[in-house]
Amino acid sequence: MLANFLIGLREGLEAALVVGILVAYLVRTDRRALLRQVWFGVGLAAGVSIGVGALLTLGPQGLSFEAQEIIGGVLSIAAVGLITWMIFWMGKTARYLKGNLENALENAIAVGKGAIIAMALLAVGREGLETALFLWAGITSAGSSLAPIAGASLGIATAVALGWLIFKGAVRLNLRVFFQWTGVFLIIVAGGVLAYGIHDLQEAGVLPGLDNLAFDASAAVPPGSVHGTILKGVFNFSAQTTVLQAVAWFAYVVPVMWLFVRMAFHSGPPAPRSSQVPSQAPSQVPATEPQRDLAAADA
Amino acid sequence: MTRPMPRRRSAVPATLTLVLGVLLLSACAPNAASTDTAVAVRSTADECELSSTEAPSGTVVFDVTNDGTDATEFYVYAADGTTIIAEVENVGPGITRQVVVEAAAGDYVTACKPGMTGDGIRATFTVTD
Repeated sequence: MLANFLIGLREGLEAALVVGILVAYLVRTDRRALLRQVWFGVGLAAGVSIGVGALLTLGPQGLSFEAQEIIGGVLSIAAVGLITWMIFWMGKTARYLKGNLENALENAIAVGKGAIIAMALLAVGREGLETALFLWAGITSAGSSLAPIAGASLGIATAVALGWLIFKGAVRLNLRVFFQWTGVFLIIVAGGVLAYGIHDLQEAGVLPGLDNLAFDASAAVPPGSVHGTILKGVFNFSAQTTVLQAVAWFAYVVPVMWLFVRMAFHSGPPAPRSSQVPSQAPSQVPATEPQRDLAAADA
Repeated sequence: MTRPMPRRRSAVPATLTLVLGVLLLSACAPNAASTDTAVAVRSTADECELSSTEAPSGTVVFDVTNDGTDATEFYVYAADGTTIIAEVENVGPGITRQVVVEAAAGDYVTACKPGMTGDGIRATFTVTD
């Protein structure tokens, strides 16, 4: 039961956190109308995954191993692109909010609409097929025991609950701190998704170097343990990381982090450090601070 | 400073096309049929029992059942023991998952990986003509 719970938790955690942050962002910037797009993307990804999973499990055709790995790898790398875009989009929108540029803000929303669906779709769909195949295997084994499917479902439910908690926490942060730290967090998450995608493509034989390990920490971080599950679920930390994965992780995280920190931490007054700082950090042009967009943390 | 941001309306169609394209381009493998050779695999903490270590060439279906308490994985490698022919991850305790291999004659290496780590419990699997 515990092992199945941990698989469900791991598969659902990252998607739940990314969607939680996306929803928090939309609520904070008073764009609740766009939540419909989020739930549409989430629903579509879940529905397609479960449907395709059912076809592959119960139908005459299964998915070849290579195909499944290539789907996982390509979707992961596409997800990295969208998460990166989301990070800088959030940062950029913060600037528009500060400058009270209504026109530009409207454009930013128009840009966001389709991409928000894609964002939610990929965040959930990336691991969706593997999760659906795992769940269908649990359902087809339910004849002998309900424990596996119950454990897996509880794990996914726990991931969703943690995504909700992240949302509740994020709407309490002040806007500047929210943009800064969710950005930093999402960059680490995206680096892990990239490394995961690379590993899938290595397993499929599309990329070389599957056995060329950068390090092996499986003694300290067993994949089946609770801390291994959380590290894997949130940051896609792999105890046995290949050299190519490590290189890709650093090649992504270092420049993106540098660009983001320069943008979000250095383009204004220093970040507030303690709780003594007022709830809204002073802007470079305080007189033009828009009131309507600083959504109250009342959700 | 009312510079419009670049439009990216095509994000959704592009993503959907990508997803569908990948699905269509990827090869499907037949699920178990009556002419296939079925091999039952029982994975526990320290055992990896196969109902047979030999099969005729063609479709070989491994039904991997996890009788342990940790999640497990099952791999079919080429004779070199490193090239993955097929694998299944996330086989939770009490769950059975299938690995389908279109196997040509030759030697293969099978491995259960209880705890989803390490080289696994390996054995040679022979496919005959």
